Amino acid sequence: MNDNTIIEMSGINKQFPLVKAIDDGKFDLRAGEIHSLIGENGAGKSTMMKILYGVYAPDSGDIRVGDSHYKAMDTKKAIELGIGMVHQEFMLAEGLTVLENIILGSEPKKGSRIDFAKAREKVETYSRDYGLEIDLNKKVIDIPVGEAQRVEIIKTLYRGAKILILDEPTAVLTPQETVNLFKILNALKEDGKSVVFISHKLNEVMEISDRITVMRHGKYIDTANKEDVSIPQLAQMMVGRKVFLGAEKRSHEITDTVLSVKDIYVPSEREHSKIRGISLDIHKGEILGIAGIDGNGQKELAEAVSGLRKVERGAVVLNGKEIQNMNPQKIRMAGLSYIPEDRNVRGMNKSFSIKENLVADCFYKKPYSSRGVLNRKKIDNYAADVIKKYDIRPADTDICIANLSGGNAQKVICAREIDGDFDVLIAAQPTRGVDIGSIEVIRKILTETRDKGKAVLLISADLDEILALSDRIAVIYEGRITGVLKADEATDIKLGLLMTGEEIYEKE
Amino acid sequence: MKKNDYIEILLSILAALFIGGIVIFIMGFNPLAAYGELFKGAFQGNFGFGSTLAKFTPLLLTALAFHISTTVSVFNVGVEGSLYLGAMAAAWVGFGLTGVPAVIHVPLCLIAGAAAGGLWALIPAALKVYYNVNEICTTILLNYVAIDITSYMVNFPLSSKSGSPQTPSISDSASLTEFMLPSKANTGLFIAIALFVVLYWMLYHTTMGYRLRSTGANPAFSEYVGINPKREMMAGMFISGALGGIAGAIEVMGVYGCFLDNFSNGIANNGMLVALISRGDIRIIPVMAFFLAILQSGALGMQRYTSLDDSIISAIIALFILFATMQGLFKLKTTFGGPKKHTGLKTGSEK
Amino acid sequence: MIRNSTSILFAMLACSITQQANILNVGVEGIMLVAAFAAVATSFFTGSWVLAIFAAIIAGVLIALIIAVANIKYKADIFAVGMTVNMLALALTKFANHNILHASGSFTSQDIKPIPDVKVAALSGNAVVDSLFNQYNLMEFIGIILIFVTGYFMYKTVFGLRTRSIGMNQMAALTAGINVVKQKYVVMVISGVLGGLGGAYLSLGYTHMFTENMTNGRGFMGVAAMFFGNMNPVLGWVGCLLFGLLDSVGSQLQAYGIPSQLILMQPYIITVLILSAVLIVRKRKKTKLQSTNAGEA
Repeated sequence: MNDNTIIEMSGINKQFPLVKAIDDGKFDLRAGEIHSLIGENGAGKSTMMKILYGVYAPDSGDIRVGDSHYKAMDTKKAIELGIGMVHQEFMLAEGLTVLENIILGSEPKKGSRIDFAKAREKVETYSRDYGLEIDLNKKVIDIPVGEAQRVEIIKTLYRGAKILILDEPTAVLTPQETVNLFKILNALKEDGKSVVFISHKLNEVMEISDRITVMRHGKYIDTANKEDVSIPQLAQMMVGRKVFLGAEKRSHEITDTVLSVKDIYVPSEREHSKIRGISLDIHKGEILGIAGIDGNGQKELAEAVSGLRKVERGAVVLNGKEIQNMNPQKIRMAGLSYIPEDRNVRGMNKSFSIKENLVADCFYKKPYSSRGVLNRKKIDNYAADVIKKYDIRPADTDICIANLSGGNAQKVICAREIDGDFDVLIAAQPTRGVDIGSIEVIRKILTETRDKGKAVLLISADLDEILALSDRIAVIYEGRITGVLKADEATDIKLGLLMTGEEIYEKE
Repeated sequence: MKKNDYIEILLSILAALFIGGIVIFIMGFNPLAAYGELFKGAFQGNFGFGSTLAKFTPLLLTALAFHISTTVSVFNVGVEGSLYLGAMAAAWVGFGLTGVPAVIHVPLCLIAGAAAGGLWALIPAALKVYYNVNEICTTILLNYVAIDITSYMVNFPLSSKSGSPQTPSISDSASLTEFMLPSKANTGLFIAIALFVVLYWMLYHTTMGYRLRSTGANPAFSEYVGINPKREMMAGMFISGALGGIAGAIEVMGVYGCFLDNFSNGIANNGMLVALISRGDIRIIPVMAFFLAILQSGALGMQRYTSLDDSIISAIIALFILFATMQGLFKLKTTFGGPKKHTGLKTGSEK
Repeated sequence: MIRNSTSILFAMLACSITQQANILNVGVEGIMLVAAFAAVATSFFTGSWVLAIFAAIIAGVLIALIIAVANIKYKADIFAVGMTVNMLALALTKFANHNILHASGSFTSQDIKPIPDVKVAALSGNAVVDSLFNQYNLMEFIGIILIFVTGYFMYKTVFGLRTRSIGMNQMAALTAGINVVKQKYVVMVISGVLGGLGGAYLSLGYTHMFTENMTNGRGFMGVAAMFFGNMNPVLGWVGCLLFGLLDSVGSQLQAYGIPSQLILMQPYIITVLILSAVLIVRKRKKTKLQSTNAGEA
């Protein structure tokens, strides 16, 4: 054991209701180092650090900080021990000034007044020492994201943090702001502070880290010094393979283009998800898989095509007709079905029954209603058929869909979307949060849809799924397509590179 | 609605009655006898039962009005304002038009009331839908504006100039027949019940109802299936205001025969509370409204025979509602299962 | 005008404090009413207006606690609880008026000791100065002082900062280690104190009697004034003055044939307009931030 190690987590296990987030996880941190923790979405890196910061308690395992061992942390203790965390979602009160936000909870007092002068002095010291430029008097609602992040960093320093955990800090920053952040992190390192840098952006990680730890599917994979490892190697460790739930691929010919995305620009709340010029063609009878680490614009792409998000520039052409910025229902009627990635938000009405959800897209059409009156009998029959066909449990058409497991709810949504006339199906993260049995059913639905001659746009953060189902694979990174490959040409390494920003263009 | 909810409501009633009973006892009366007089007062004779029915009508309508707005997840506290404006509109059409047969005049007045109430509700609705202005604030404030507008109208342009703050009486052709005299019961009761049935049918058996409920359940999803949440919220609010307006119209046409300044003593607020304790289940609303009507009209009976004044009943009612709005007040060991079906009722500020 | 607005002032302050913590205290009407009764009853029975003020405060705090427990512990909708408490207050005070004071409608008596006016001897020489400064009730002074005390507390002390942070982002407050539940209770208690003072003023300062439903919407006017001033006590005071001014102007204009109702509704309309304007601006800002600025790409 290196004498320099100030934090050591071992044997950590954490089970959430539907998924085992951490499976025998470990992590250690040395004094004065910048240590990156990388992995795909769902790898467990955020959870691991939240356990260290006391947001979650592990089911088992040991946390050593300095010379003391802990079974679990709470945030107060973590702060006392000098651990500070900057979350992905900023914990700032918008209407308060920067200074007020920083001192909240640990305000210096002069009698009953807050001693703003003293606070200001202390904060300005940190600001100077580490190059954290902030305007103390502005309200948080008026400052740009990069500055808000610096505020969060000072918050931790103000409470005496010697160990800083940053969760995906560059996700919200422009390239210039990222450069500034790295300057700040180096200044902190120079002062003897330690930094845990959670990220999935390999080029950044290679630039800033001393050591890098990789996690995958909740498990610890490996730790390496930066000098000893290359980006492709990291990519491979990150995306590795597990059980192959493959489907039969048949050789097929590329036929007519049914959906064409032409150089679209789509806005987003997050800087790196803003789509700045994506072009794609999808053909009849093919599954085009969109691979990429979650948060690179997939959601925005799906929503733009389905009409739920504005397309600021460019065009989306379906069957020869331009559909961008049309009302979602009209796009649907033009031949597009969509299985959304967040089914609870965009996929269903949680408080409605199965049958009411099944007819959500057609309740106003015959035979389910006529002249504004719902035909309950027809709706009931349809629901009963679907339940039987896809083995939905519990098998009761009237039951509130909130009582179904994720897998069953997703089956209901899929059933709804593939019923009826459509030419293109967009499936975004269709098997996320779904049990194995339902995964099979859903994947079968997708391939059958393709076999019927329809086009499927499959968006998934699960690379196995993409590889198993797609005929062609396009990779998305920071709102752009970095490359398109035929399925049989796609290797883990190539995909890993594309997913982290390298660009490979095939001649089309 | 979970069975738990039913039990909590029941326990709230019992708790409130129990506390009230203690106070009655301290005052020197037998609580059971007193409650007996209460129920007698609410059911006995034309005056008793008639009063109950008369109070039930506006309570039911305003409760439904509030319920519909929460169906599209808007808190329409402005039903009182719609009530007043609807009443004024109905009164105007009632005394303004003469020589029209009842079969036309009555519906015309009701439509006027509904239109006035509905359009009024569109103001806070638009502010919320397009600019996200908290509808609780705007509707409370606008209530006062509505009351002031009608107060102005009844004291000046539309005044009967008879010394009391009222409009001229409406024609007979605009009146709703009273029955069970000398109570204030009138055929508006049947209108209210009919509207309840229509509303229920609309919500659960028509595409319009589906769209409204879907908007309240999940606006994001509704948007995706082509339902325009903005439009549905406006529609829901319009219906809400319209129901309030009809409630006001009925009071004018069946009870007072004219518009009386400040005639409502918070009718719509009581209706709103009825809707809130029904916890989102529209079928409970008539039951709760009827129960409240019993308490309110029985209070008079209890007062007559026991010399206890009706403030005791008001306090009991208030306590009951207070208990009923709290969740988990009664520690129920067993959870009677059954999936939840209602949409939550949360204030805007809680979001 | 000052007289009219003072009771609204107390209500506004009571609401502003809780609204900073995102609690819409519409029950302030009920708090004031119960406190008003408690004040009159105590003054009548003990002959001491000081005790009466204490009684009013205690009554106010009790009612505020009922609201607080129902909302914070039992998750009852704050609006429903507030309105219900108002109902309860109306009923309780009516009952107490009948059975404790044996009065119906209003209760007046020579034995009610009112809160005194403040007379500064030195100023009473000059008639003009006297009428400007010497005709004010103690509570009116206290009210004005409280505006600034509240402002100070809200914006300069730890307590105020934490309360405001709860209202803006409860999660941020929680992760900063603040005991949100305790803070909310404290804020409600203070609201009860302020409402209590307002009630005492109403029955022992502005009038010297208790009348059933004497608050008559002043609590809600306080809520409206609070929105007008966007939770800021000083701006809220402007709102109170506006309400008070228009109320007295209204009655005077009646002599000229302008209906008071048209005047009375102005402050409400203005508040709605202000609220809307603020939110429209905010929405425009947000849309701009999310754009890709495709034109410049």
